Amino acid sequence: MAKTKLLLSMAILVAIPATARAQAEPPPSDAPAPPAGSPSSASGASTDAPSTAPAPPSSAVDSSRDVAPPATPPPAPPGEGAALAPPASAPSGHFEFGSYGRVRIASDGRGGTGRQANVVAHGTRIDEESYAELELRREDTFTPDIRTKVVATLALFPPFFHFSGDATQQIAMRNLFAQGTYGPWTMWVGSRMYRGDDIYLLDWWPLDNQNTVGGGAGVTLPDNDTMVQAHVGMQRLDNAYQHQDIQVVAPFGVGAQTITKLDRPRLVETLKATHFFRHVPLRGMAKAGFKVIVYGEAHELSAGTVRDTITNNEDRPVPSDSGWLVGTQLGFWTGERDTHVNLFFRHARGVAAYDPLAVPTTFANDKTTSGSTETLVAIGANYERDMFGVVAGGYLRAFRDGDPSPTSTQKYDEGTLVVRPQVYIGEHFGVAVEGSFQERRLAILDPKANAPLVASALRGGIIPYFSPSGRGTYKRPQLRIIYAVTARSDGARALYPAEDIFATRKTEHFIGLGAEWWFNSSSYP
Amino acid sequence: MKPTLPGHARPVIPRAPGARTVRRALLGALIGAAALAPEVGCVSIPAAEKQPILATHVADWRDEVIYQVLVDRFADGDVNNDYAVRSGSLARFQGGDWKGIEDHLDYFTSLGVTTLWISPVVKNIETDADVDSYHGYWAQDLTQVNPHFGDLASLRSMIAAAHNHGLKVVLDIVTNHMGQIFFYDINLNGHPDVYVSGTGSSSAVTRSSEYDPDFDPRGVQAQTSLGLDGRAPIIFINDPTINRVPPQPGILGTARAYHGLGRILNYDIPVQRLTGDFPGGLKDVATEDPEVRATMIDAYARWVELADFDGFRIDTVKHVEHEFWQEFSQGVRKRLAASGKHNFLMFGEAFDGNDELLGSYTVPGELDSVFYFSQHFQVFDDIFKNAHNPPSQHGTKQIEGLWRDREKYYAKVPQENGIGIAPTKALVNFLDNHDVSRFLFDAKGDKDALRNALTFLMAEQGIPCLYYGTEQDFAGGNDPANREVLWKTGFDTTGDTFRHFSKLARLRQGYLALRRGDTTVRWSTTHTGGEDDAGIFAFERAGGDAQDRYALIVFNTNAKKISSTTDNGTVMSVSLQGKTFVDVLDPLQPTFTSDAGGFLLVTVPAQSARILVPQDQVVTNL
Repeated sequence: MAKTKLLLSMAILVAIPATARAQAEPPPSDAPAPPAGSPSSASGASTDAPSTAPAPPSSAVDSSRDVAPPATPPPAPPGEGAALAPPASAPSGHFEFGSYGRVRIASDGRGGTGRQANVVAHGTRIDEESYAELELRREDTFTPDIRTKVVATLALFPPFFHFSGDATQQIAMRNLFAQGTYGPWTMWVGSRMYRGDDIYLLDWWPLDNQNTVGGGAGVTLPDNDTMVQAHVGMQRLDNAYQHQDIQVVAPFGVGAQTITKLDRPRLVETLKATHFFRHVPLRGMAKAGFKVIVYGEAHELSAGTVRDTITNNEDRPVPSDSGWLVGTQLGFWTGERDTHVNLFFRHARGVAAYDPLAVPTTFANDKTTSGSTETLVAIGANYERDMFGVVAGGYLRAFRDGDPSPTSTQKYDEGTLVVRPQVYIGEHFGVAVEGSFQERRLAILDPKANAPLVASALRGGIIPYFSPSGRGTYKRPQLRIIYAVTARSDGARALYPAEDIFATRKTEHFIGLGAEWWFNSSSYP
Repeated sequence: MKPTLPGHARPVIPRAPGARTVRRALLGALIGAAALAPEVGCVSIPAAEKQPILATHVADWRDEVIYQVLVDRFADGDVNNDYAVRSGSLARFQGGDWKGIEDHLDYFTSLGVTTLWISPVVKNIETDADVDSYHGYWAQDLTQVNPHFGDLASLRSMIAAAHNHGLKVVLDIVTNHMGQIFFYDINLNGHPDVYVSGTGSSSAVTRSSEYDPDFDPRGVQAQTSLGLDGRAPIIFINDPTINRVPPQPGILGTARAYHGLGRILNYDIPVQRLTGDFPGGLKDVATEDPEVRATMIDAYARWVELADFDGFRIDTVKHVEHEFWQEFSQGVRKRLAASGKHNFLMFGEAFDGNDELLGSYTVPGELDSVFYFSQHFQVFDDIFKNAHNPPSQHGTKQIEGLWRDREKYYAKVPQENGIGIAPTKALVNFLDNHDVSRFLFDAKGDKDALRNALTFLMAEQGIPCLYYGTEQDFAGGNDPANREVLWKTGFDTTGDTFRHFSKLARLRQGYLALRRGDTTVRWSTTHTGGEDDAGIFAFERAGGDAQDRYALIVFNTNAKKISSTTDNGTVMSVSLQGKTFVDVLDPLQPTFTSDAGGFLLVTVPAQSARILVPQDQVVTNL
């Protein structure tokens, strides 16, 4: 046990990809169900965000989880030389428009379209599919202590009309919530991307990533360095695991009527505490600081009954299920040029090992997710200095389903390591190169090797780009030329049906153009 | 610490941590996080699920008791392979799997069986005409496991666990046919058609199906309203949703591998029997093709190499030509012997009561054994089942005649590199199986008849084979009613039939004569009514490979009366004179003594048997 834990520590510290004992496969069922039309987002929400270097202390926000800044100190009372306070300002409000988006078009160099070649749940995003969010916000200030915002974010999924000729556009509502701030308290209700820090190169939020409909509250403690946030949310995916409508005889007259047979939302409660250590006096880094986050989730699904309409119209009981998750994050920043590093650890059990947007496909013999576990450690970092920058990310993850069989496609170890150094050419141009390795080791038999099936992908790429807004890892928009080549192992190819070209091709090319932007988006401060 | 100035409280200024502290905190957080993580081990494949080393697990197949398992019906050990299960609909998948077998190995050892014959493991067409391929006989891919039952790892795990429990595993294989993999495009429209014609009054209503047309020795003919158009093209179906896709491996995915002559209409016509499609659209394989033969040998030998099976039960043997069996059996034996697998049993199923036909598959160069179907019909059906129906019951003289023919029609020398036992001594005896209605169904629930038949099964020469569920008094009729789900019994081991069979298994294991002794009939009769010896049948098991071990088994197949081994003053004589015998089957262990002339009078209650062992050979605590 000690040996395993030390190995994990060392792996993170030295970031050696070979220690990532992991495998890959096409979108795994344990991963959140990708937003429709965005198959590359099997790892989770298809939106991404810049790696969130913690904001300057004056606005201690944490990604999209807005928490009120410290209260404005009261004016000095008269008689001590203080001027009279100005009269309170009138309520004010305005609309904001923001967006996150990426568009890309690519060829595989063989006459086909460029296709994402990840083999793990959270692979690199150099060949990621297009996606966009359009956000409209209304922000109001009623008093210095009372503010609101109402956020509506539409997400658009590919294929887009000009590519497919199909005018049907897949749209999802990602944010639709109202938030109010009262002094140090913030409250919100609605549908929301409620999440913490991401690892940009993996388009992944390793610690907390709730795509939720619910409500939450947060408070900044009087020390101004500690935030506590809680939320409760609910999801009921439209499949036989959680929801079923069936036809039954109408109570009056003739004909059938639709009733809800299975109504089993997943209830999720989260609790997060963040503490900032600001202005850590490190040599030459006057604005450095770090933060510690402790996080937990609880998941519950009630029991129910589903009608087996496919086979024999028999009612089958569906047992209740539950799970929990704990995690922690350690973040450090220099305060200069978005240089930072975040370390994440998370462990989940039961249904909490499955993202709420994912449906478990394998179970223990009692038809629950009992016995399922997920454990991960992850790192995301960015360093910028002068004409040079490097952004990197990596993780190790072990997932085990509840299937009593020791062999299952849903038992695996996996990991990714990706590094993207770049050189800035002047203020508005740059060239990034990326190298990555990802591997998934599945608990299914590779008959040739008489061992677990190992799927891996070694990838390299180059991305020259134009950055009109200036030099920096997170400066957007960015217009890019992309070339990537991926070497896929025998195990990676074995994951595809024989008739899929990915079952035979050892090397994948990705030659394309891309653009990415974000501005004024509530998801990305 | 700097001293405070008088009158001034030292201000408390929170001191931010230094760089070393930060680094230590980071390192500590990492190690702490890792320390808090529960044990995370690498995924691995258990040793039992890796490529096995082939070994010979059987010393003498006559010592084995075979238990036929329909995998889908025995035990559901993993709900994650319960695809398309329709509980209670016996023509559909029910969910049993290899994991379920592995989880219940103690059940088999309690029962006393020693070898599991499991239904086919290869990937099938999922379903056809609203009947599922739960039985495994509709093969589509001979190289892949059937995911309904598990994966290769779980198959290996089950077999390894069985071997560790002292159990052997026999694989059911099919070489005669594949599943419903193509249709004959009779009307040349590229589409499988089923048409019904006739009015039912002026003309008979007939149904024709391009999936399963009637046998035509020329090959199924294409035809339109204008007449015949030559052979109908064979068109492979491609419906991946039910795995009805071109078969594997290799040549089996081409039309050349099939006879294409249509469905058997008359089983007594050899050309139809050997080259016609099996009813239900199961396409007959052209087993005379050298490449087909090589493919079959490779495909099935490979399964033994992959999972360390101990034998083959071969389906539909009489529908494949003898030349194939010669090449197949010898090819498999040779290949497996090179890998360290010896004593590999190959026994065939020829659903026929003709001893000459059955025996023809045991000639030198062919199979080690066949199912003793003639005995099934002439003994278990005609005599034991009909105990409740005396006018229909045959006399036991029929058994004597049958066994005499056994010596005439079945090979008396072992197969070269086979199991080392002559087929005459290694026929596989059975009461019933998945293709016939259960014994209790035909016997109208007569459990005494069942237990008496089981005694016969376990005492006679050959290898006994028990169909799963018999020990639980299953009484299903014909397919699929005779393929009941076993796990609903709770694997009860306390029932009378279970305990009776378990005792018989212990007796068989304890007495060498019952396993390996030669057979000499001592009494048979044509009487089935009120005669002294009505229903009596007695035989000795002694000598041969049993050396000096001896057993005398006396049956009363009559359901109405006590009978004895005498008729009109004539008393049965046995080979041991002046010997006292103990009935080891009866818990009270009564004794019977032969006189100096070897005459022995044994009385047997209705539908009962006595297993008489010389007093000095009695084994205690069985």
